[in-house]
Amino acid sequence: MDYTMEDTQNSAPDALEATKLNSAAQRNDTQSVTKRLQAELMQLMLSPSPGISAFPDADGNLLSWTATITGPTETPYEGLTLKLSFTFPNNYPYSPPTVLFKTPIYHPNFDFSGRICLDILKDKWSAVYNVQSVLLSLQSLLGEPNNASPLNAQAAELWDSDQEEFKKHVLARHRDLDDE
Amino acid sequence: MSLSKLVWSHFGPHHPFPEKQKFHGFYRDALAPPALSPPLGLSLSAAFAPPGTVTMSNSSNMNALSPDEMQRFQKLSNEFEPEVPGLFVSPKQSSHNIALEYANADPTLATKTNALAVTHPMTRVMKGDGNCGWRAVAFGYFETLFALRDPLRVQRELARIKSLTYTLDRVGYADHLYEIFIDATEEIFAQTAAAIQNGDQDELFLVNAFNNEYKSNSVIMHFRLLTSAWMKLNPVRYQAFLSLPLEQYCATEIDTVRTEIDEVGLQALVDGVIEGAGFGIEILYLDRSEGDAVTPHQLSSNCPSGATIRLLYRPGHYDLIYRAEQTVNMAPVVNYQYAMTSNYSPWDQGALSFDVNSHLMSIPNLMADPAFGMGAPMSPMPSLSPPPATYRISPTQDMYQSPMQAHAPVPSIPVPSPPPVLPSAAPPPMTSLPSRSSDGPQIRLNPLVMKPNLNQLPVTAPFKKSSPYNQAHFQNQDFEPIHWEPNDTRRYDGSRR
Repeated sequence: MDYTMEDTQNSAPDALEATKLNSAAQRNDTQSVTKRLQAELMQLMLSPSPGISAFPDADGNLLSWTATITGPTETPYEGLTLKLSFTFPNNYPYSPPTVLFKTPIYHPNFDFSGRICLDILKDKWSAVYNVQSVLLSLQSLLGEPNNASPLNAQAAELWDSDQEEFKKHVLARHRDLDDE
Repeated sequence: MSLSKLVWSHFGPHHPFPEKQKFHGFYRDALAPPALSPPLGLSLSAAFAPPGTVTMSNSSNMNALSPDEMQRFQKLSNEFEPEVPGLFVSPKQSSHNIALEYANADPTLATKTNALAVTHPMTRVMKGDGNCGWRAVAFGYFETLFALRDPLRVQRELARIKSLTYTLDRVGYADHLYEIFIDATEEIFAQTAAAIQNGDQDELFLVNAFNNEYKSNSVIMHFRLLTSAWMKLNPVRYQAFLSLPLEQYCATEIDTVRTEIDEVGLQALVDGVIEGAGFGIEILYLDRSEGDAVTPHQLSSNCPSGATIRLLYRPGHYDLIYRAEQTVNMAPVVNYQYAMTSNYSPWDQGALSFDVNSHLMSIPNLMADPAFGMGAPMSPMPSLSPPPATYRISPTQDMYQSPMQAHAPVPSIPVPSPPPVLPSAAPPPMTSLPSRSSDGPQIRLNPLVMKPNLNQLPVTAPFKKSSPYNQAHFQNQDFEPIHWEPNDTRRYDGSRR
């Protein structure tokens, strides 16, 4: 928090006080993020959902995770293993994590850099969403793209017009990533 | 050369077209970052009402951009977050600041804000970051709880809020996700209890807690989830007011981290979370509707004096505002009226030793002649300090009356050598009232003395004992008129107990 730009006319003493307190509170915040992410991890391990998994990266930094989604049956992604990265901001869960597809993917709502167009990862983010609910949303998006706001317009068009051709594009673009 | 290219050239470092000059001024205005002050509604609309030709050129230009550029602009626009200056919750400040903001705005707003600064002398500004309404109510809740200074009540509220946790479970929120929000709320309850225990004079600890981003967000999230659960468990009350299915409304408007509260959400927050505390909530709408005062709207079933959260609403933004009663400081003053009469009890014209001829009494400042005051035989009362008390205005009143009308007929008389009970700060500049508090205690003549029939006192509501609006005081032998300072907050809190 930076309050140095504050309008000090009315608030100088209080603002300074708040700044002091906040630097002390900063540590608590990190602890809270950690606590929350540990709780999420615990939950994922105790009651895993079929087709999704996630784990913090090996570097011991709880703020970056790698997740896996298995392509749902009866979708063009059936049987494919898709890897994603989660990066959590310091004020998680009050800001959404940054989620990217690491595995190259052909889909109306994901672009070729793996960026995701999903409202719950933007302005509709809620602090009760979590790694598990994000992964489940993405999993269902694989079978039901939102063609109203595509990032990949060609994919959106093809999804509606030619499912066969769409699947060919999916398989052509897919490449399994090595386990790191 | 197309007009469209011309316009876009302003985004690049070079301006190859000499013609740009004639558009330059216009575009600079339109693109200037909007000021944050509220009168802006007016100036903004002017700035964003460009002549049709330019708008068209602008859109045709968008088509000319390559997809990559479009994507880049889209990304920039998606990620744009205005820098919102200021604390999440400001310290209390004079409402005259609001009046100043509107001094040059629409006359209706100027009139309303001037009147508001008198009836509601203090405000607390919320940061306009998309949570201001939620934050105002959450802060107001804890502030009210603290102001009551009742440790038992804090315990009771903590228990009540925690008991609502079962509603979160019932609608399916996972406890490992919401527990950090409850922890934060509990911490603020503990701080409130400790502050009461320590006899803290002011609510600085709360201001600090709410300016901690994490704590602030956690408490707001907790209140959001309780509101959401309440709505889902009582859908009938709200669904008819929503354009979305209630579940979807909650997911996209209530559970989110930065969606501003709307009227339905606010009502649900009051119903589900706040009203159980017995606190009142009132909104004062500041807009350009007709009238010379803000429009109050009561959200709770009642608004108990001393335990009512007041929100000032300007389109798109909520702040907290405090009525005069919360900051009133009452001290004894010389009872001029009764010093001149030896018989206090019968309340009728005959008992008054001075002329109550209504025509004479209505001459402004007749009684204000200092010579008259000096010469009058009187014995100042000893400066006892009775506990300052709040008064309450009859709850049936619908509008805050213009202070001019309310007080103008009451002449004020400066009294020599008043007991300097309170070192009061200089009052804020009164724009619509004659300065009454700067020159010491004054005599307050009840307007009723001008009425011919004083036997029927139009008392319509239960008054607290020391309410200045309670005309029944004049029947009481021990009655002392009170002197109030509209801007002395600390003293009020401090000497309350």
